[in-house]
Amino acid sequence: MTEVAPEGWLDAVEALQAEGFDYFDWLGCVDEIGRRDCLRVVLVVRSLSRQAEPRTLSCSLPRDDPRIDTVQGVFAGAAWHEREAAELFGVEFVGGERRRLLLNPEFEGTPLRKDEVLAARTGMNWPGGKEPGEGDAAPDRRRLVPPGVPDPAVWGDRDASQPAPDPAEVADSAIRPRRRRT
Amino acid sequence: MSSGGESHRSINLIEPACTSCMICARECPTWCISINSHAEAIKGLPSGSRERSQNVLDRFTIDWSLCMYCGICIEECPYDALEWVGNLTGPGFASESLVEEMVTPPS
Repeated sequence: MTEVAPEGWLDAVEALQAEGFDYFDWLGCVDEIGRRDCLRVVLVVRSLSRQAEPRTLSCSLPRDDPRIDTVQGVFAGAAWHEREAAELFGVEFVGGERRRLLLNPEFEGTPLRKDEVLAARTGMNWPGGKEPGEGDAAPDRRRLVPPGVPDPAVWGDRDASQPAPDPAEVADSAIRPRRRRT
Repeated sequence: MSSGGESHRSINLIEPACTSCMICARECPTWCISINSHAEAIKGLPSGSRERSQNVLDRFTIDWSLCMYCGICIEECPYDALEWVGNLTGPGFASESLVEEMVTPPS
């Protein structure tokens, strides 16, 4: 995997195409929150004419302002992948197609970012919150917080006078079932 | 179990194998599994031994209006108490009637 700076993204893709890697395979995005405060855009191209390992390019973008040049001028088929990454991760592909691909036009948010909270679930009774051996009558003893819902102490019940929670804290808290802090 | 596509029509609970451990209910992405259980003292232990209890399953429901047939519950069950079966889930007039009781009540 070759790491490329955002400024050199388009040039790197064009160079690979000129080298014979003229088959666009896929483009994706990874939220690296918890490790580093960035989104990683990954692109894979192949060569159909000669035996060669597919080439992978990756580029780190700051989570608060992720912008990268579109490669739709090089590979038209990358448009769908870029539109998907744009709406699911909030990455801006400069100069690219801006229409939504999968989500409702009214939908707000970036569902595949790890600090995205499944807000509708915070008010629901999670069937997995019970301990083995518990019957119906124990909802107020729930100590487990479901995945996708951050710890109430971090997100929901947070003291309003405190600063907003750190995205990494929200993401870490929402990633899997965990014990409540309080 | 039949082969091919006919074996993935619904999910069945193998009641004797279930320990009410709650793992399936916690892993289910759609929250469609609900479990009620209670602890009961094990009878017939040798005299003088420490009292021990086990969980007894009271109620196990799958809400077929929520289930997306992903099979994660079957994968995750450490006791192989869930399996794919070929039966189709029944239709219903309201979403509540798609909640299937998987535990047969004691007669």
